[in-house]
Amino acid sequence: MLEIVILGRGGQGAQTAGNQLAQAFFDSGLYVQTFSTYGGARRGTPVTSSLRVDADPIRLRCNITAADAMLCFDASLMDDAFYAQGSDEALIVVNSARPAEAFTPRARQRVLPVDGRAIAARNDMGKVVNSALLGAFAATLGRPGIDILAQVIETSAPAKKSQNVTAAREAYGLMAPVAEEATA
Amino acid sequence: MNAPANIETRQLLNGNHAVAWGVRLAKPDVTPVYPITPQTPILEKLIEFQSEGKFAAELLTPESEHSAMAACIAASATGARVFTATSSQGLLLMHELLHFAAGARAPIVMFNVNRTPASPWGFWPDQIDSLSQRDTGWVQLYSESPQDSLDTVIQAFRIAEGSMLPVMINHDAFYVSHSVEPVSVPAPGLIDEFLPRVERPMQLDTGAGQSLGAPIGQASWNRTRREMAAAMETVPGLTEAAASGWRAMTGRGGGVLEAYRMTGAEVVVLTMGSMAGTARDAVDRLRDEGIAAGLLKLRLFRPFPADELRAALAGVPCTIVLDRNYSPGMGGVLHQEAKAALYGTVGAPRMHGLLAGVGGVNVDVATIARLVRDYRNADPSPDAVWVE
Repeated sequence: MLEIVILGRGGQGAQTAGNQLAQAFFDSGLYVQTFSTYGGARRGTPVTSSLRVDADPIRLRCNITAADAMLCFDASLMDDAFYAQGSDEALIVVNSARPAEAFTPRARQRVLPVDGRAIAARNDMGKVVNSALLGAFAATLGRPGIDILAQVIETSAPAKKSQNVTAAREAYGLMAPVAEEATA
Repeated sequence: MNAPANIETRQLLNGNHAVAWGVRLAKPDVTPVYPITPQTPILEKLIEFQSEGKFAAELLTPESEHSAMAACIAASATGARVFTATSSQGLLLMHELLHFAAGARAPIVMFNVNRTPASPWGFWPDQIDSLSQRDTGWVQLYSESPQDSLDTVIQAFRIAEGSMLPVMINHDAFYVSHSVEPVSVPAPGLIDEFLPRVERPMQLDTGAGQSLGAPIGQASWNRTRREMAAAMETVPGLTEAAASGWRAMTGRGGGVLEAYRMTGAEVVVLTMGSMAGTARDAVDRLRDEGIAAGLLKLRLFRPFPADELRAALAGVPCTIVLDRNYSPGMGGVLHQEAKAALYGTVGAPRMHGLLAGVGGVNVDVATIARLVRDYRNADPSPDAVWVE
């Protein structure tokens, strides 16, 4: 089973990203389960989206406590409690222009920063980073395939469908070689 | 196992949207609903269905849950099929009218999303909101998953209209209500056949002079409760019949109780709601370790299925009850009820009542497996123990 945690602030799209990623895995023929927890939906408060992916039906009804991979929309949320949610080998993608060395994960966790804001801006997406981050995250995981993900984004994006898709594809292309090197 | 694709379609739905799909298929006539976190997606989805012309019920949004339930009772008294949904504070605000609805023998179906009641304020999965309504005369069912919720809300109309009692179905906040998963949605034609319209013994009509719930004497009031008791006795049979009809159609679902790996079980986890899902994986892990563990999921809580529980646990040496609820001054509600049902019966198991996950605290596979290892040979205690 693949377990993923996505962390963002209310309004940034972490929950939407979790649902889109779940749809892409589901469309790839896998079982998925995604759920969000938040202490009352307010813009700006931390929102966690959890995602499980497996070849078999998923029966678990509990939190993810050792995620295989994590996606963080806001580097200011990366405290010790954040890293503690990941497994010792967790792959962590963070929306940040800073280098990987600027982060302090624990054990053998690896942090792969991606400048989602810059990619979003280049693709006429303003500050809306979720499609760019999803593309980078899929490249890091090696799944789901970018074409399936792009199809989900195109279907579900409420506006600027083509810009969302090109942002995801650009981030995927930028991250794929980095991820390959980091996970080699 | 699922029904063939030509009678069901598989969609990614969260638990609340799965409920809304079940309601759409059950075709109620009137749905008075007041929004509240984390129930609101049920109402939102019903409104979306209505805007698409796919849901024809009269959708009322009164100013409070109390008024929503008042509208439910009045609509039901005219013979309408009625659905509503709520959670926690909303359910508690309805309390007075929950007794009223049951006494009026209104076969309303209500979905409650289990959430911690204030104070302090919280939004976490905990079943004390609905369990504290256990004496109101409502049938209570607990769901484990989004699929279970869709399936159960449809079956609930059969149970309600067959017993003339209101039915409340419950699922846990977030772990079920906001959990997006593959859900099989039956074709509408199937449900029309499964849920035929039932003639009511009494239907208020402006053209005919009748009153419902007017003041009566002691003996007559007493008789209403004896009649409710007789109706409650029919509920386990109605629940099993609805479940077996559903299984014949879709291949899914349990009845009053659901047994998992109970063959030869020497220690049984008894629980309800979403905890049952995690417990399945814990049972598998324990079996792999050589511990003969099993799971009994209680799906019907009111009426309490005492006979079925006695039969399922006869000869089992040890039962561990996991309660995600707390009745202050007493303990876990399921533990109390199960103990009372088994007290004095031959071959009753040793029983441990564990308060696990009260307030939505996380209870994972490793935790359940550890609790079973720790308690399976422990001396029985009549009192509940805080474990997580």
